[in-house]
Amino acid sequence: MTDDRGKCDEVRRNFLRGIGLSAAATVVQPAWGGQTLGDAFAGFFQKHYQQMSPEEVEAALERIERKAKARYGVDITCKDTPPLEGVVFGYAINISRCKGYRDCVHACVKENNLGRDSQVEYIRVLEMDQGTSNLEHSDHYYDPETVPQEGKYYLPIQCMQCDDPPCVKACPVEATWTERDGIVVVDYDWCIGCRYCMTACPYWARHFNWTDPEIPAEEINPDTHYLGNRPRERGVVEKCHFCIQRTRNGQQPACQEACPTGARIFGNLLDPDSEIRYVLANKQVFRLKEELGTEPKFWYFSD
Amino acid sequence: MAIIRFIFDGIREMLRGPREYWIALGVLLLVVAAGAWRYVEQVTTGLVVTGMSDQVSWGFYIANFAFLVGVAAASVLLVIPAYIFHRNDIKDVVLVGEGMAVAAVTMAILFVIVDLGRPDRLLHMLPIPGIGRLNWPVSLLAWDVIVLSGYILLNLAIPFYLLYSRYRGREANFRLYFPFVVISMFWAISIHTVTAFLFSANPARPFWHTALLGPRFIASAFASGPALIIITLQIIRKVSSYRISQSVIDTLALIMTISLQINLFFVGAELFTDFYNEGAHAASIHYLFLGLGGFNSLQPWIWFALALNVVAVVILMINPLRRQTRTLNIACVLAFVGIWIEKGMGLVIPGFVPTPLGEVFEYAPTGVELTVAAAVWAFGILLFILLAKVVIAIEQGRLRYPD
Amino acid sequence: MSAAIDRMLDKRTAIRSGAVRSTAGPPVAATLLVCAVVVPAISGLSRANADDASVAAGPILFEGYPNAPEVFVVPRKDELFFYPCDQCHGAMEANPEIRKLDTAHHAEIDHGRGRIWCLSCHDLENRNFLKTLLDEPVDFDEAYIVCGGCHSSQHKDWVFGAHGKRVAAWQGERTQYNCAHCHDPHDPAIEARAPEPGPRARAGLELKTGTMHEASPVWGSHGTDSEK
Repeated sequence: MTDDRGKCDEVRRNFLRGIGLSAAATVVQPAWGGQTLGDAFAGFFQKHYQQMSPEEVEAALERIERKAKARYGVDITCKDTPPLEGVVFGYAINISRCKGYRDCVHACVKENNLGRDSQVEYIRVLEMDQGTSNLEHSDHYYDPETVPQEGKYYLPIQCMQCDDPPCVKACPVEATWTERDGIVVVDYDWCIGCRYCMTACPYWARHFNWTDPEIPAEEINPDTHYLGNRPRERGVVEKCHFCIQRTRNGQQPACQEACPTGARIFGNLLDPDSEIRYVLANKQVFRLKEELGTEPKFWYFSD
Repeated sequence: MAIIRFIFDGIREMLRGPREYWIALGVLLLVVAAGAWRYVEQVTTGLVVTGMSDQVSWGFYIANFAFLVGVAAASVLLVIPAYIFHRNDIKDVVLVGEGMAVAAVTMAILFVIVDLGRPDRLLHMLPIPGIGRLNWPVSLLAWDVIVLSGYILLNLAIPFYLLYSRYRGREANFRLYFPFVVISMFWAISIHTVTAFLFSANPARPFWHTALLGPRFIASAFASGPALIIITLQIIRKVSSYRISQSVIDTLALIMTISLQINLFFVGAELFTDFYNEGAHAASIHYLFLGLGGFNSLQPWIWFALALNVVAVVILMINPLRRQTRTLNIACVLAFVGIWIEKGMGLVIPGFVPTPLGEVFEYAPTGVELTVAAAVWAFGILLFILLAKVVIAIEQGRLRYPD
Repeated sequence: MSAAIDRMLDKRTAIRSGAVRSTAGPPVAATLLVCAVVVPAISGLSRANADDASVAAGPILFEGYPNAPEVFVVPRKDELFFYPCDQCHGAMEANPEIRKLDTAHHAEIDHGRGRIWCLSCHDLENRNFLKTLLDEPVDFDEAYIVCGGCHSSQHKDWVFGAHGKRVAAWQGERTQYNCAHCHDPHDPAIEARAPEPGPRARAGLELKTGTMHEASPVWGSHGTDSEK
């Protein structure tokens, strides 16, 4: 008896405490999508990345870090590491080594803080029939017991980081451009979400946040770059950026690192001794839709 | 100041009318309110409430945008006879036509805005350092922003000047406004050409990547625009005492007939070019007319639209039928709806099916999209009614500056 | 993932990307060289250019490729369960007869479809080494010399980075995996495995998708294969 009464009292105390806490919380809780009013205001007036002064960039990076803390409860760092001198990135995939595991797809999702529910995946692996290179005979959703399947080969496709990108031409507000190291980047704080760039891309490489990306807090990658894997919001376009937060620090992109067969070869096109240059000089490489004149920096070969 | 008085008198005229007028306005406002409510849902949750996807990333909103730019451009079909060929009968209604152009362009711009992922960043489009960055002249969308804004300004400024002159009971200065009228003629063609180029500039989308798209847009605009003007003028004739000569309607009907014939010829040319030696670039038109990989949700629509257009052009080509009000109106409705389907969803969606990677993924608009779209149309119709009310009042001499 | 790579980098050895000398001169020493000095890429047979004083002056196993880059290889010896092999085989008699060995201690060979057997790669006289086609001993951490004896195009690609996997960085010191890191030398074919999950439709949309009908071979419309 006494125990029950004690329990009732405890329940009532907890309930009242809960109400009090939530009342207090609504007052101090940041609104505006997980940021304070001041940050929301400053964000509204934030300039285009290429027109911000170093102090303004610093303030923007800090806003991103604060917003991530408020939204996910995680401490992240956001940098804007500039391009390395004398570097233009290139990528090659050995399609006789790709077995269609999709390890690259999921490593990318984790590395780049992609929404787990918004179904944005920068890499899509196509299962192709042997004997044809017609993409319309491909299967994007293959799910057999084991891969590789008999009579099939696999073609991973992601942003080709074109040298003459139609998406950069299309954007009405210059929210996407090519950096000096060849990476085509997006200023997620500038994009208005018109999706004209997605229309223009011949490789279906650009993706839209139809809703706010949901990332489990414990899986967030805290090492972020302003033009790369910093947490994004709904309503903006994003795409593969050659893991700019890693590659500008000399690391391999996450997809290359994840591939267990070593099918992916990444490096500096301006270094004549690099593996990518060796591939281009010694293997029979091809690029997708080369006739469109986009000059992709992503090659395929087999041996 | 007289101009302030003019504006106030205009607003007062808009707020004056019989019961039927207020019922119409009320219904339209209800639709607008319903759409606004659902638009709030879209902005707070994201465009995930629509049926669009990474595969089909433009849908019902942009379909209506493309169609409405054409309707807006068609007002030039009144401006040219009125001011270049001195057709006084058409001059009587040209300001109504320009009011329709304003309403149509406003709807087009609204459709773009409701389609944006971040409408709060609209100011990023302004070419003002520190506020926006307009990618002009490279981006076709930047061109579209400029030409549409300019078109609204021209179609507001010229009628404003003419109406204000009439309001003040004086002749408008021909030398002042005529150059702008000429500019607006070329500008009307440009808005629709730029919109066509928006689509045709993409080699990633073989369905649109044809030089014929610009001409097709103009031809279908000059068929659907007059259809709407003909119906609207008859409604105005009925609800007001505004004098509208039958010769105006005859001229528009003739223009519409020829444009519809040309449009159908263009459709035929596309079908031949794509199907004679059918390659991968014909996949989209194959999807539209015949289905692809078992998916054919647009197939019934396009054949229906084609049938509507064919019936309409047959009616219009038979002179007695074209001159008879009932059959003419039927043809106008058929052509308007047929072109709305063919140039709206029938143009935008197949550009995305299959995707550049060969995937067939279909699209259907959701309730949110339909409601918001209906609200934009209601807003445009509302805007037109209000503008037309003032135009008619001034043209009939009922609105004058008291002096 | 990166912690594992760091551990690997700590243990790595260098390969001489130019001429490779046997580290096992007669008689074979049990001590192994863990820190090798990198010899810049050279071509040719000159023994005088070998400036690694700690390497025994053995015969040249492999001349190297011209202009080859310098590569560090992730070692594997400490991953080999039975190594060093002469803990048992030091006391056993060497039997060169080609025969099937018991699989309790020996791998089943599924390599070459009957064209090779254990002693094609393992050194009969000293089980702590592999051997080339010319019967010269090769350290386990330089197994690529053995593999490359038959698989020369893969070996060349591997030296220049078009085969296998470079780890950690795309610039600076080049660290790559040994052949045996991915290919079990006794059963080198990579096993099929289940793929990771495929893409999903956008949130709120049903995945109803497809592509055009399956491609049939172009000759399929000319009748069946059996028709002549």
